[in-house]
Amino acid sequence: MSNIIENLKQFWFFTGFANATWQNLAMILIGILFITIAIKKGWEPLLLVPIGFGMIIGNIPMFPGLNIGVYEDGSVLNTLYQGVKQGWYPPLIFLGIGAMTDFSALISQPRLLLIGAAAQTGIFGAYLLALLLGFDPNQAGAIGIIGGADGPTAIFLSSKLAPDLMGAIAVSAYSYMALVPVIQRPIMLALTTKKERLIKMPVPRTVSQREKIVFPIVGFLLTAFIVPSGLPLLGMLFFGNLLKESGVTRRLAETARGPLIDVVTTLIGLTVGASTQADKFLTGNSLKIFLLGLLSFVIATTVGVLFVKFWNLFLKGDRKINPLIGNAGVSAVPDSARVSEVVGREFDPGNHLLMHAMGPNVAGVIGSAVAAGILLGFLG
Amino acid sequence: MRHSRIILSIAITLLCGLSLGAQNMSDLLIGEVLVENTCGIVDGYGQRNGWIELFNTSNGTVKFGGCYLSDDKSNLKKYHIPTSDRSAQLGPRQSVVFYTSGNSLQGTFYTNFKLRNGSTLYLVSNDGRTIIDQVEIPADLPADQSVVRIPVGVKEMEFKTQVNPNPTPGSYNGNVDAKTKSQVMKEQDPHGLVLTLIAVMVVFSALLILSFIFGWIGNYNKRDKVKAPKPKKVKKGEMDDEVVAAISLALSREFGSEVYAAIALALDDYLVGGIHDLESMIITIKPTPGSEWADKTQNFRQLPR
Repeated sequence: MSNIIENLKQFWFFTGFANATWQNLAMILIGILFITIAIKKGWEPLLLVPIGFGMIIGNIPMFPGLNIGVYEDGSVLNTLYQGVKQGWYPPLIFLGIGAMTDFSALISQPRLLLIGAAAQTGIFGAYLLALLLGFDPNQAGAIGIIGGADGPTAIFLSSKLAPDLMGAIAVSAYSYMALVPVIQRPIMLALTTKKERLIKMPVPRTVSQREKIVFPIVGFLLTAFIVPSGLPLLGMLFFGNLLKESGVTRRLAETARGPLIDVVTTLIGLTVGASTQADKFLTGNSLKIFLLGLLSFVIATTVGVLFVKFWNLFLKGDRKINPLIGNAGVSAVPDSARVSEVVGREFDPGNHLLMHAMGPNVAGVIGSAVAAGILLGFLG
Repeated sequence: MRHSRIILSIAITLLCGLSLGAQNMSDLLIGEVLVENTCGIVDGYGQRNGWIELFNTSNGTVKFGGCYLSDDKSNLKKYHIPTSDRSAQLGPRQSVVFYTSGNSLQGTFYTNFKLRNGSTLYLVSNDGRTIIDQVEIPADLPADQSVVRIPVGVKEMEFKTQVNPNPTPGSYNGNVDAKTKSQVMKEQDPHGLVLTLIAVMVVFSALLILSFIFGWIGNYNKRDKVKAPKPKKVKKGEMDDEVVAAISLALSREFGSEVYAAIALALDDYLVGGIHDLESMIITIKPTPGSEWADKTQNFRQLPR
């Protein structure tokens, strides 16, 4: 009998109940919250559901040494986590993004690229603020990239510059991307006048297939020569786009933007979520990162809108740009462009800004990859 | 003009290709050489011998099994590094030490010759002919001092040769206490303003140049713009050959949803005049939701039996 009791005691020590801490439970609740938001509100469900469930997986209290945790060498989760740690999931996602992105809006109005550049100020604003809060430059760079509003880029850069902060940075980036409509709308309304919101932009010209094929090649050569450290992201983004536009690699493009990106998104979400173990995630630094992440989105949106307003001072007639597309420079494809469309139609139901906003939106993807390359070059 | 563009494109491609380098034996380097060892490192047999340090300059793993070491140009195959030894490989920027004991039976990392002052040491590729690297040993090299190749420059991919009074067998010959880039930035740019300024300028420049290039390409394309064909003049009730062919093709064969696309295209051709989407060569067909498992067409046989 005593033997049975002893064994039951032994078993008890291996259960989650015996090893649970309030931090684990808090993280599990956050995971459930993420899943609830994704299902109820429909905010970034493809990311928040895997991340939320990953948080639950990563925070199941367990007896250490069973070789099952995400940070234990050789475990299943650890093997899957290598794609995040070594940084090869994000470029694969970029391959899919390239294969699903239509750069026509950008090619037809290349001047809109500059809005994408202006919105990257959010990255560097957050970098400066992070330094002020006492982070080291490499950590500050990794935190700053949240302002790029690009999850894969944030994971890629933080895995290189500050792996310890990656969980908080990734969760922060994806959370704020899900909250783009909530964050951006009031800023856009506060910074624009009613007259400006009613500006109608001319319909973009038709883009030829030749231009679409040339774009990924020239775009890649130019950006990669300027910032070679952005090679994994830029290379995959433009390669994916070439697969889409070449017209002769349809099957490859469909795989890249379909099954491949789905598989990688599932794995990246799940493992990033699982990496947020309470002991590594619930720290003062994580709170600072969340605050800085929010500020980076605010700065990026503000500068994007103000940049268009400033630019409009030098433009005349139908060359003027509706400042409501300024927010779209912060990547977060296509949510921020959708915000431009929705807010624009609130004031003029006939004013469709989506097509125009997609220009700075995809420029933001290129801009954030370039910015990540610069930060990696200087701080990596 | 068209030919010059093609030649320019090929030239750019070749130029880019030149900068690509594979991780192979040519990335090896003789990092350090010591001839007379009286008070330095002891080998696995408790002996003090001269030694040769090989260094992998690349950022990938390099296998050196099959290479040769020699101090005689007329016999470059003097010591053959065993190909079968799995430990005969070097990780990125790592080094390995060979003891010049004169007795190769002691193991893979023991050469069958002893070094002499005034000689030249050769590292030879596995073909036995190609000299990968060579080091001249000064005739007056003092005991316990080595000839070392120190990495210099920003990339640390160039090396200067000098005599080293403090030999470092198996260790990196450069500055082992070098600071990380982040530490350097923390000292030089504590508030981050310089980095921010440079980064913003680079992002703007990159996208500005891209904007100019595509502005130019767009203007160029406007000149070559493909004009939409004018609607064909067809008498009422008359169908041209293309329309007839498309409709009959659609109705005569089982194509699933492509039937509707073909009919739509044919009608568009007939009524609107054949202005097709210039952006894509793909007909967009909205797929039927579900698996179509109950679709009658799934039960049809192609050939009646």
